Amino acid sequence: MKRSSTLPLAQASLRILIILNWLFGAGILTLLIATIVAEQWTFTALGIPPSSEVRPMLMGMRAIAVLGLVAIPLNRAVLGRLLEIVETVRSGDPFVAANAERLQTIAWVLLALQLVSLVIGGIGEANSTPAHPLHLDVGVSVSGWLAVILTFVLARVFAEGTLMRNDLEGTV
Amino acid sequence: MAIIVKLDDLLHDRRMTLTELAERIDITLANLSILKTGKARAIRFSTLEAICDVLRCQPGDLLQFQSDSSARQALKPMRAA
Repeated sequence: MKRSSTLPLAQASLRILIILNWLFGAGILTLLIATIVAEQWTFTALGIPPSSEVRPMLMGMRAIAVLGLVAIPLNRAVLGRLLEIVETVRSGDPFVAANAERLQTIAWVLLALQLVSLVIGGIGEANSTPAHPLHLDVGVSVSGWLAVILTFVLARVFAEGTLMRNDLEGTV
Repeated sequence: MAIIVKLDDLLHDRRMTLTELAERIDITLANLSILKTGKARAIRFSTLEAICDVLRCQPGDLLQFQSDSSARQALKPMRAA
């Protein structure tokens, strides 16, 4: 059987993404803390001059940061389970009940992330002003919602595949 | 299992080892052992064909159906006359 480089690449990429996810989380946490302990400095660093409009914007940004922190363990849950699935594929036995459960969990977490994204987008819109527009790459994402549906379907496919594999076990 | 695999008897009659049979029909020794020991859950027609071809037998020579009641009957001790 010809060895594909896809799986090793996928494993390496997922491990890197897990580390980047934690670093991103650390960055968000640092920014959140900075808005509390060094408010003026943070806004100066972000290039936002102090004004009366900044106060509600500050609360909105903190809310977005908190939601961003919520997304970090959710991202980790997806990436970790994907990594476990890839490892079963490399070992030559992917159609196991555990993978169907992992995909089901990933689907629910992706759904949660889409909802978080919607909320962040709403907060961003509510806090955006002509003087200080807030452009965030979040909100309604067709590809995101498609990924949710796709993952639920894939979980079902793996569940059926596991049943077929179990049926085939012991066949000579 | 109600299906009895009489591979041992056939191999003995043909003076062949399980290993030789495995090599000739290109099935792993592990799978053939599973079949011989009655642990197989199913057999492919291609496997059955290959075994019958090499051992020069019919499927009925290799497989025997024994219902649970006849199996219990065989185990009952004979009554004294």
